[in-house]
Amino acid sequence: MSRIASYIDHTLVRVDATPEQIVCLCREACEHRFAAVAVNEVHVHLASRLLRGTGIAVACAIGFPLGGTSTWVKWYEARSALRQGANELDVMIYLGALKGRRYDLVEHDLLAIVRLCHDHGALCKAILECASLDENEKVQACQLAVAAGADFVKTSTGYGPGGATVHDVALLRRTVPPTVGVKAAGGIRTYADAIALIEAGATRLGVSAQASLQILSEERLLMENS
Amino acid sequence: MQLDPKTLDSLVEEITKQVLATLRDQSSPSAPLPRTKDSSPSCIRFEDKSIQRSPEVMRDSITRLAAPSDIRLTAQDLARYIDHTLLRPDATYAQIAQLCEEARQYRFATVCVNPANVRLCSQLLRGSEVGVCSVVGFPLGATPTKVKCYETQQAISDGATEIDMVINIGALKSKDYDLVKEDIAAVVRTCHNNGAICKVIIEAALLTDDEKIKACQLAKEAGADYVKTSTGFGPGGATLHDVMLMRQTVGPDMGVKAAGGIRTYQDAVAMIKAGATRIGASASVKIMQGTRPES
Repeated sequence: MSRIASYIDHTLVRVDATPEQIVCLCREACEHRFAAVAVNEVHVHLASRLLRGTGIAVACAIGFPLGGTSTWVKWYEARSALRQGANELDVMIYLGALKGRRYDLVEHDLLAIVRLCHDHGALCKAILECASLDENEKVQACQLAVAAGADFVKTSTGYGPGGATVHDVALLRRTVPPTVGVKAAGGIRTYADAIALIEAGATRLGVSAQASLQILSEERLLMENS
Repeated sequence: MQLDPKTLDSLVEEITKQVLATLRDQSSPSAPLPRTKDSSPSCIRFEDKSIQRSPEVMRDSITRLAAPSDIRLTAQDLARYIDHTLLRPDATYAQIAQLCEEARQYRFATVCVNPANVRLCSQLLRGSEVGVCSVVGFPLGATPTKVKCYETQQAISDGATEIDMVINIGALKSKDYDLVKEDIAAVVRTCHNNGAICKVIIEAALLTDDEKIKACQLAKEAGADYVKTSTGFGPGGATLHDVMLMRQTVGPDMGVKAAGGIRTYQDAVAMIKAGATRIGASASVKIMQGTRPES
């Protein structure tokens, strides 16, 4: 039994993902008991139908990957995803407003989605895109996410200038209270990467489909040899 | 009396239709309003905004300019081809304001921004001939049709005059052509009903030549105004090969927008020679500084 599968969001948010690949993703998620599959909104309906009753969540990316849509559009997008069966939403924060120090806008933008999620019994993860932020901005972004009531803070989209680092995960973990999760995502390729991030404080890992299978087989090998 | 938003929307639509119908009736039969293949509201738009933005006029100027083997573009000509672009997710208000200022100064066709910045741009550009272009379903194209339409509607009501939407690339790859076409058509309808132009991004770097041709055909059948090569966030930008292929596929009646990786005056002119009628660039100011002094 894998010890890290339950940390993993089995992820396929490539722009050219086909329905066949989504079916495959869901089958793998059931087989290995991942925490969730993470997909783009066009595939939420399919994934949630396939995973009904399995206990595996469907996570959908919102305002992804730029966070450059207005709050109303994110809200509409989120509602549509929830109605189609998403259990978790990974929302990109309004980065431009954060950079421009319009913190009220960042918080309100997120708050609208968090409320909607909680009304639907869903979880909300706030993506900060750490690689685009300086240390102060990372801390500020965490505080805004916590104030808005987000259930997780998440390091990266995987489309930004960089992925999850041990340093960022530890910083996020220190900044948010223990009740808020930390999701590391972007560039996680090996079992060693995964363990390092979990030890730094990550409670969830966003790993692209191929890499998560690779990580599990590495783990199996290690367990057999020990 | 309380009206729910749906009833209100349909009422507004009905009133708009009737007003437009009346306007058409009033124009003398000998001098009809310029009919374009866009739906009627855009006729109104052409009256109060710069007529230079009409694809037809653009095309005429292209034929005229392309006639001699060496295209001589004055700075003013070139500027009207350019969508001055800033789509970085961490763009601040100050940077957006600077973008608009530059667009005013050089008289670019539009500024091209994320939807969250449309309202600010349209406020800053009020009274100028620079349009506001919003991206939709950007850059993955992976939101459902309904969401793209809502995003389009919001962007237009915030002041967008042009919409650059991304197709459902996964569906195209799966040969679900009906879905791809309906996705485009729904956004095109939303644009045209609200007097905006619709450009369709096919993200050519992810497609085979056959898929590029198919995507262009679907965009054309769906009534789009332009096909556009790339988002700038994909694995590659505009290539001369893609622009020529797209021009060949859509024929002379549609616009072709080249975007992604266009950094110099030479790049821009090469794209125009290959058949592009619009250029998306973040290095627009640098491109303009490479133009020869106006004769």
